[in-house]
Amino acid sequence: MVYKPQYGPGTSLVAENRRKYMNPEYKLEKIRDVSDEDIVMILGHRAPGSAYPTAHPPLAEQQEPDCPVRKLVTPTDGAKAGDRVRYIQFADSMFFAPAQPYLRTYLEMYRHRGIDPGTLSGRQIVECRERDLEQYSKELVNTELFDSARVGIRGATVHGHSLRLREDGMMFDMLQRCILDTDGVVKYVKDQIGEALDRAVPVGKPMDEKWLKAHTTIFHSLGGVAYRDDTEYIEYVQRIHSLRTKYGFMPVEK
Amino acid sequence: MTDAKYSQCRIVPARFLKPETAERLLNGIVRVEGVRRIVVNGPRLPATVPYGPARGKPNPHTDRKVIHVGDQDVELQVQAGMIILEIMDDSCIPELRKVCDEVFTDLSYVLEEGRFMKASPSLTDYAKYGPDADMEIVGLVDPRRNDRPVIIQGLK
Repeated sequence: MVYKPQYGPGTSLVAENRRKYMNPEYKLEKIRDVSDEDIVMILGHRAPGSAYPTAHPPLAEQQEPDCPVRKLVTPTDGAKAGDRVRYIQFADSMFFAPAQPYLRTYLEMYRHRGIDPGTLSGRQIVECRERDLEQYSKELVNTELFDSARVGIRGATVHGHSLRLREDGMMFDMLQRCILDTDGVVKYVKDQIGEALDRAVPVGKPMDEKWLKAHTTIFHSLGGVAYRDDTEYIEYVQRIHSLRTKYGFMPVEK
Repeated sequence: MTDAKYSQCRIVPARFLKPETAERLLNGIVRVEGVRRIVVNGPRLPATVPYGPARGKPNPHTDRKVIHVGDQDVELQVQAGMIILEIMDDSCIPELRKVCDEVFTDLSYVLEEGRFMKASPSLTDYAKYGPDADMEIVGLVDPRRNDRPVIIQGLK
């Protein structure tokens, strides 16, 4: 029998969205078009148009040890070229952001190669080779996983995911990396660590409340889907919790 | 520091306020008879980047600005999220509610009565001010900063 991943339990819309985003066969809907150059500017790791700095010579130029694993695994483009390892970090507002840290890690592990994600309660960082990072970042920003008001690209000083929103609907950001301009478009005026950019980088208009609630992967008892209403999810999580507790004592399932 | 004989209340809007809205609200509050002290609470908006590789660089922020309350200029150093008030007695609460209703036309808010201000000096206060602290300012300003409270003397 061929193993078919189930991705996660639950009968609610939130659970359905989680499964959908994790499934690499599901093509994420593209809703904005942020260019490569703009992504490079927001990331702030290198100047747009400059060559990729390297951490080691390209794999083709260096002597590889005779290793069966290296023969099995095809290196990513970034690894082949010897790029540095760089990062992108997201903060997702608990007010119906399309993604959240745990889901980001799950979906990136299913969808991308050569990554090292770090998951925290309010932020999620993913590290990988620089040119791979730019490619992955573009997918994470241009698709339905991103909302310009409720998701922030924040390398440092991420505080804001669990706070109230600002009056204009933007997630609080101490460094105000992005602003809601008068034309209704959110523009990044600083890169992810808070250094001013030479020009504002537009990342599109914030999505409306209806769209956010239809695409969110966050349970929220005030205005959204309450976690307790998804009984299948609760049952599954309780089972896992119970088993991992009991298995420490006697690894037998009854 | 707060005095136990005075009542307290707090105004918590559903969203963080823009400086303009905070200014309108505070100007409404200072006109209410019986308000003794006001604390504007919320996450800090630092003048320089506090963490990360850009630490120490300037941090321009459109919400860190000077607003005019009563007859005084007040520098907003936080994103206004909660207004804590010390009031002479509960009789001014209906008036405060009226001010909030006028300002928060498209926002919900909660006006709660309770004890919200510092009732005794903390260890940080002791470290900053020593044993002879001026009890007028304890609890009103951040002890880690050198700012003093703003005294509103008129309503121009």
